[in-house]
Amino acid sequence: MDVSSDEADDWFMESLHMYKDLHVFQLEHPTKVIEWTSEKSVCVAGYSSPKNEILELLLPLKLYAGDKQGLCPERDFKVQHGGFCDEPVECLRHIFGKSNRCVVTSGHNSSKLQVWDLGEDDSDVIKRTGVINLERTSAEGRKIASGLTEDPSVLHGCQINDVQLIELASGKVLYAVGTDSLDAVSGLQFVNANEFVICANNGTLYVGDTRHPRIEQYALQASVTRSRWSFGLKTNLPQSDLASCTVSRLSSCGQVLLSDFRKMSSPVGEAQLNLQHSFPSSDFMTVTWAPALDNFLSVSGLDGTVLVFDTTRWTTDLKNPEPIFVHRGHHFSCEAKTDGTPLVVTTHVWHPWRPRTLLSAASDGSIHVWDWVDKENNSL
Amino acid sequence: MFRFFRQKVLLPEPLLKAERSLNRKAQCAICLRFFHAEHTCQNSRDLPVVHHKKYVCDLPPNHRFPMGKFPKVLQCLLKDQVITETQVWVPLLASDEMLGSVHTQEYLSNFITGKTDEKEQRRTGFTWSSGLVQRCRYETGGTVLAAQVALQRGLACSTAGGTHHAFPSYGSGFCLLNDLAVAAKHLLTESRIKRRILIVDLDVHQGDGTAFIFKDEPDVFTFSMHCGKNFPLRKQCSDLDVSLDDGMEDKEYLSTLQAHLPWLLDVFRPDLVLYDAGVDPHWEDELGRLRLTDQGLFERDQYVLKSVVKKGIPVATVIGGGYSRDVDRLALRHSIVHRAAAKVWKEYVT
Repeated sequence: MDVSSDEADDWFMESLHMYKDLHVFQLEHPTKVIEWTSEKSVCVAGYSSPKNEILELLLPLKLYAGDKQGLCPERDFKVQHGGFCDEPVECLRHIFGKSNRCVVTSGHNSSKLQVWDLGEDDSDVIKRTGVINLERTSAEGRKIASGLTEDPSVLHGCQINDVQLIELASGKVLYAVGTDSLDAVSGLQFVNANEFVICANNGTLYVGDTRHPRIEQYALQASVTRSRWSFGLKTNLPQSDLASCTVSRLSSCGQVLLSDFRKMSSPVGEAQLNLQHSFPSSDFMTVTWAPALDNFLSVSGLDGTVLVFDTTRWTTDLKNPEPIFVHRGHHFSCEAKTDGTPLVVTTHVWHPWRPRTLLSAASDGSIHVWDWVDKENNSL
Repeated sequence: MFRFFRQKVLLPEPLLKAERSLNRKAQCAICLRFFHAEHTCQNSRDLPVVHHKKYVCDLPPNHRFPMGKFPKVLQCLLKDQVITETQVWVPLLASDEMLGSVHTQEYLSNFITGKTDEKEQRRTGFTWSSGLVQRCRYETGGTVLAAQVALQRGLACSTAGGTHHAFPSYGSGFCLLNDLAVAAKHLLTESRIKRRILIVDLDVHQGDGTAFIFKDEPDVFTFSMHCGKNFPLRKQCSDLDVSLDDGMEDKEYLSTLQAHLPWLLDVFRPDLVLYDAGVDPHWEDELGRLRLTDQGLFERDQYVLKSVVKKGIPVATVIGGGYSRDVDRLALRHSIVHRAAAKVWKEYVT
């Protein structure tokens, strides 16, 4: 990262008008996961060394003070709970259900899932409470999704044919996918208590229902070789109707496809993003829908920025849409350590209900929470 | 108790005789000629406060610069009866010539006529307007007047000022003209007596513009105590820079200041101190990364003012930086230096 201090000063002055709020934190080690554990806290975990920390961070309270910001002292992230994991954490999910303080992690080059208790106010330790041992080792880590039933359960898989739903309390396998597809899993997510969607690395979407093992498959029309795909589902959690969901898929070549489950034969929207590198690492590709802004989509993992788009502006002829907003802040984190590799945003998430608030993390260990100004609609 | 002896304005002999026979109105006129002022309070025995209602201009809604603070600083001092209207001096607009002693002709011409380009404007944080030009010139005039009055009375406070990020040929960080530099230059050249000026800049951001302007000037000493990780990241070299770590609190801040100011005053022996009492080291400040409290700021200001005044050195204060969306709380915070000055005035000057 060779941004001059003068460029950083320029960006700082501009940021005063681009953001309503911007808070920066430096983790000792970078994270590739950010998972909401409550309205004001997130969980992050290291992936870059053999022994990694899992941390629950409280967001700067100033963010929530609204007009009374002057009365709120806290402008920093605070570590509320922490624990150590014996493997690099590839995937981390907060589990829905009775306990509410449970997360599950999967590791790099690992054949197990680990279950953790985040702890309450009386303790600051995140404790491991269980291990689920599986047959297959996954180099990139098993993908995980939280079940949406009262009894905590987790959906996981590294290949389509080994996707299972496991009840956490007992370790019992509640459901297994009935297919022999060897496609690698890129991501999975429940739409409601029973229906779920899986995205494979090659972009094929699978739709299943835990009430029967049969699974529907929707392959991509044109095959784009050497591309890896990630997906983001637009749902009204926790009880969505599959037909009302839109799914976005992002490829490592920068292609974005929007599809509607009512009509999977052709996409409802498409875009081609400009990429700086020809073959960026596809480890970190993230595409998500804004929970509180209709049709707003964000993309990260292709470089050191997070791009926010208004997909209603995507037309069939103009394939290179302009983003509504670009977060470049990670390039200007003045505390960032760099080892010469190009900076990349490892993950990002939207705030569950604040319209324009996002969190993003980068490969240099920085983590930002930011609330951007929509200049076009001039709203704050 | 130390008594400060009022310095007399040195009028040439014939003028003194003439003055005796003039009426009061004419005496005011003479006063105005020596002071850069629209209105003076020569008969007031109270702490001189310098303010102009045109220290403000309109900004787009939700602009991050808290323009509304300037009139509010005066209002809260009046409301709390710290001062009355009879001690408010009003400055003149800073002239082209005055500004030209620091800023380049090209920059001044572009700035005054609105020809600075978009990139330059972005670095300042402001979009050009003629109202903006006018308010900056009044603000600069205010700092000049405060310095002049301080020389005569011992202590004076502006309700604005501290635009220390302005360089000779460009603006930066909400600063368009460098008021402290213009005031220092004016006082260096105005008098036939050689003067030494110490600029004590305790704004949380380094006084980079001022440091640059006076780097080769032996008669002006620039001292900046600031947070290292705050803007600007590209630092200049003041004559003395003290870079503080994030999160520093009242006690350590004051002891750091106490480690530097006394020897500086003794070694440099200034004839005037210009004090930038920025409140952005406060824990509530949106941009600053330190953790001072209201009490900490008050003790800081009192310490600086007492240290300087007790040595018989005149001091002029400016409010410096402070960033908050709660402008009322911010104005109250900025008025801390005036309250400290009123206390020091009462104890040591009158």
